[in-house]
Amino acid sequence: MREFRYERPATVAEAIRAVSHDPEADFLAGGTTEVDLMKDGVFHPDLLVDITRLPLRGVRRNGTMLQVGALTTMEELAADRTLVERAPFVVEALLRGASAQLRNMATIGGNLLQRTRCRYFRDPAVPACNKREPGSGCEAVNSVARMHAILGASPACIALHASDLAVPLVALDAVVHIQSEEGERLVPLTQFYLMPGETPDRENVLRHGELITAIDIPLPPPGTRSIYLKIRDRASYEFALTSAAVAVIMDGGVIKEARVAMGGIGTIPWRCFEAEEVLREAPATPDTFRSAADGTIRDPFVVPGTAFKVELAKRTLIRALTEVTS
Amino acid sequence: MTTIQQPRILGAGVNRVDGPLKVTGQARYPNDFNLPGMAYAAVVRSTIPSGRIRRMDTTAAEKSPGVLEVITHENADHLGEAPPSFVKNPQPPLQDDVIRFYGQYIAVVVADTQQNATAAARRIEVEYDRHEALLDPHDPRAERIKDPWGEDTAWGDVRTALNRAPVMIDQTYTTSENTNNPLGLFTTVASWDGDTLTLHDSNQWPNMIQQVVAAMFGVPRDAVRVLTPFVGGGFGAGLRCWSHIPLAVMAARHVGRPVKLELTRPEMFTGLGHRTASINWIRLGATRDGRLTAIEHESLTTLPLDGDEYEPCSSVSTWSYASPNVTTRDQQVRLNIPWTNFMRAPGDAQGNFALESAIDELAWEVGLDPLEIRLLNYAEVDPKTGRPWSSNALRQCLEVGARRFGWSERNPEIRSMRDGHELVGYGVAGVSFFWYQQPCSARVIVKGDGSAYVRSAVTDIGTGTYTIMAQLAAGLLGLEVDQVEMQLGDSSMPVGTAAGGSGLTAALGSAVHDACGRLIQKFVDLAGTDPFSPLANVPFEDIEVSEGRLFRKGEPTRGESLARILAVHGLTELSADGNSTPNSPEQLGMTPAGARGARFVEVRVDEDLGRIRVARIVTVNDGGRILNEKLARSQILGGTVGGVGMALFEETVTDKDTGRIANATFGDYLIPVNADIPDVHIEFVGEPDAFNPIGVKGVGEIGLVGVAPAIANGIFHATGKRIRALPITMDMLMD
Repeated sequence: MREFRYERPATVAEAIRAVSHDPEADFLAGGTTEVDLMKDGVFHPDLLVDITRLPLRGVRRNGTMLQVGALTTMEELAADRTLVERAPFVVEALLRGASAQLRNMATIGGNLLQRTRCRYFRDPAVPACNKREPGSGCEAVNSVARMHAILGASPACIALHASDLAVPLVALDAVVHIQSEEGERLVPLTQFYLMPGETPDRENVLRHGELITAIDIPLPPPGTRSIYLKIRDRASYEFALTSAAVAVIMDGGVIKEARVAMGGIGTIPWRCFEAEEVLREAPATPDTFRSAADGTIRDPFVVPGTAFKVELAKRTLIRALTEVTS
Repeated sequence: MTTIQQPRILGAGVNRVDGPLKVTGQARYPNDFNLPGMAYAAVVRSTIPSGRIRRMDTTAAEKSPGVLEVITHENADHLGEAPPSFVKNPQPPLQDDVIRFYGQYIAVVVADTQQNATAAARRIEVEYDRHEALLDPHDPRAERIKDPWGEDTAWGDVRTALNRAPVMIDQTYTTSENTNNPLGLFTTVASWDGDTLTLHDSNQWPNMIQQVVAAMFGVPRDAVRVLTPFVGGGFGAGLRCWSHIPLAVMAARHVGRPVKLELTRPEMFTGLGHRTASINWIRLGATRDGRLTAIEHESLTTLPLDGDEYEPCSSVSTWSYASPNVTTRDQQVRLNIPWTNFMRAPGDAQGNFALESAIDELAWEVGLDPLEIRLLNYAEVDPKTGRPWSSNALRQCLEVGARRFGWSERNPEIRSMRDGHELVGYGVAGVSFFWYQQPCSARVIVKGDGSAYVRSAVTDIGTGTYTIMAQLAAGLLGLEVDQVEMQLGDSSMPVGTAAGGSGLTAALGSAVHDACGRLIQKFVDLAGTDPFSPLANVPFEDIEVSEGRLFRKGEPTRGESLARILAVHGLTELSADGNSTPNSPEQLGMTPAGARGARFVEVRVDEDLGRIRVARIVTVNDGGRILNEKLARSQILGGTVGGVGMALFEETVTDKDTGRIANATFGDYLIPVNADIPDVHIEFVGEPDAFNPIGVKGVGEIGLVGVAPAIANGIFHATGKRIRALPITMDMLMD
């Protein structure tokens, strides 16, 4: 086998130090993406620093905030009563995001960092992938691409960010706690992910050695209605073709406040600020929903396999808005 | 799920006799075998579809930890030609530097562990001279083979009939490539002992593997023993001797140790073949009241560069419905693609989708109920020869299915039924499956204690062969099922045929029937030599057998147990060999009919999103006599799931420039999950078939056929959209 070293430090500081001082080192949490990619020959870390036993697990209520330890599993977070009550669309995203087996292994920090499912990224026999080999090109653009992005995409990369969980979390303005040898910094999830641009290999603002320790989820006010609508070919065990996370506060037939994000269409989890603008103080009518949808899908970059997603995404959002406001 | 009992044709639904072994992990599949001193092999596959290997650098691989051997075309053994079975087998691997498809084996690495073999295999560097590949079936440079099997058929005058037909349907229907995807990863464990070879191997036909490997390695057939008592599914994938098998055998010879070669899931996509994509062009001529006057069906399917395949999509149009004028033609086109191969209902699955879609279109065209048009055109006799069928309960399948489904409650207008966002549609399809049977043999032995065992080289791919043959033999010998032990999946046993083509039950069952008859005869003869036997002087025709005893018909007390007869004659056991050969239609004056069936589905289509859901399925089948109701139901249910997959999900996607299969994982190649499968009502109708002595027709494949067109026809009823390409996905249904 291809050999690598494995360490299991006792403290967060030691783990961060171990990775920071070895450019070929990586953290290992649930491993549900990372180990697959190692087996497939896409990742070749020389050192894996196992953080699974570090005290970064658990969900705490902190006023109007839910502070989620990065090593909390998807299943644990999905069972959190406060979340079920106050932001059920996060729970729906978790439950639709993976099978029970995966939810018991995968962590919340790792979920936010999951790598794209692009078939061209995941097969090292494909020479052209800017995400895997910077500067090598993009095979997906010229090939069969159904599960790919239409927003934030470019000829350099159309890889989709496949997380379901991240979609409602960007809608709620979740905040990521990032620890490094220099200390802690907080980054809003809406600013955490990077557009591929010319450097699709850089997916987020994390620098080598930085570790996500927690995620703050602001709880929407009581009375908020929310939905996570996930559209896919088969009924389960598949990534989204399109998805919409919507939370609204209603006053009669008028939308007072709206949070909207979409998945399955963006190179990053897509916060839909334009849609929120349209919806705020607007009547919950089909016309409102249509113009929110039109405002969201602007200047899509499509290839033949993804062209249908432009309209599907709009209708997905319209359906989500219709259901959550009715 | 429910099943209505039809006792006349239904055998007891006893549990699988191998069930306890399987659920307790004691059934050993090929990849469960680990032999002392065993080494592990990993394959290297080409990453271009066409060209030559200019240079291979194996230095790093050879120096890699634990590596014992690296075999490429430069140091591979020269192997003998692979003999054909009923189709070609792949020629021996690593015999030249030519690349014929993306994913072709170009090296095998042997090491002390699987991990070391896999890591070393990745260190092999290859330079190619790349040639332009033929990947598009419409490429004019690609070789076309007309009438590949000499089965193109014509009767009457289709041209004139179509010209004169008041109503005509003229459409093209396409199906995608699908991959068999048995759950068990195909594995070969090869072990040489001098010049004799033992293989634990995943396949559907141990004697075929034995024959091919013996020929390739130049050893007598008896020097090769293939063991396949259990295999983790096949769906047709195990019907050829694929190239990883000789690679494992060659590797074992090179390193002088047993070698295990287990394919990975992505390797299963390129290494075991796949169901060919198909283009079907159909023209139907009919009277205004919907009676068929002409059927013209042409198909185009694909072939690898150096293989062949029997996939007669158009044949279904020669036996499904009555028409005075019929023409069918098949064509194949050779491409730089991995091997096409049998996959559950080869040819039939695709051809039936086309024909049953076209018949549905005709029904709408003439304003006839889609159920009625199928009943109207029911073929009372074989339309090709005019001979009677050996059995054909298609009409009953349609009628019973319609009642169970509640077809009459359907509003015949399109887009007329809805439930919230969903448009609701009802679809129907008829199924007339091919008939297939090959020679087979078996040995039946009764032991001193009166119990029996049955041996044949055939394997049980999970369909229930162990169980139904134990039931059959028990019935014929007058024993309880648990008194019959089955021994299968060993090439050294009496020669058996393939577990394929839905033909094993008839082939092996007829052989077991023959052997049991001969064995009873032997017992009767033996008893006849004993003047004190109560059976002395009783003619064979007057013998009955029950509860382990032979007795004179009508005189249950005048008899003797099998055990006693053996004891009296000082024998520890008595055996008889049985053989079966398919009957001749000419001699019997009838046409053998494969299974028949009808599918009724309720589909729901989200009007805005195009999302498709199958809400209900009723599947009624005529499989002749059903030996075990529970296992037959299991076959139909599994086939139904495969049919939903073919209709809505499954598509092996190939990159158009490189010929690489782009979705060779279970995450990317979509097969239905439980939540995609609704309530399935399964029912059997019909009569014991007259073409073989045990009255069976085989139900391993028919469950899949007809599901796709029933869904497509239901989608048309729901939405008014006629989709003529599989799989049907939501983007096709969004307005």
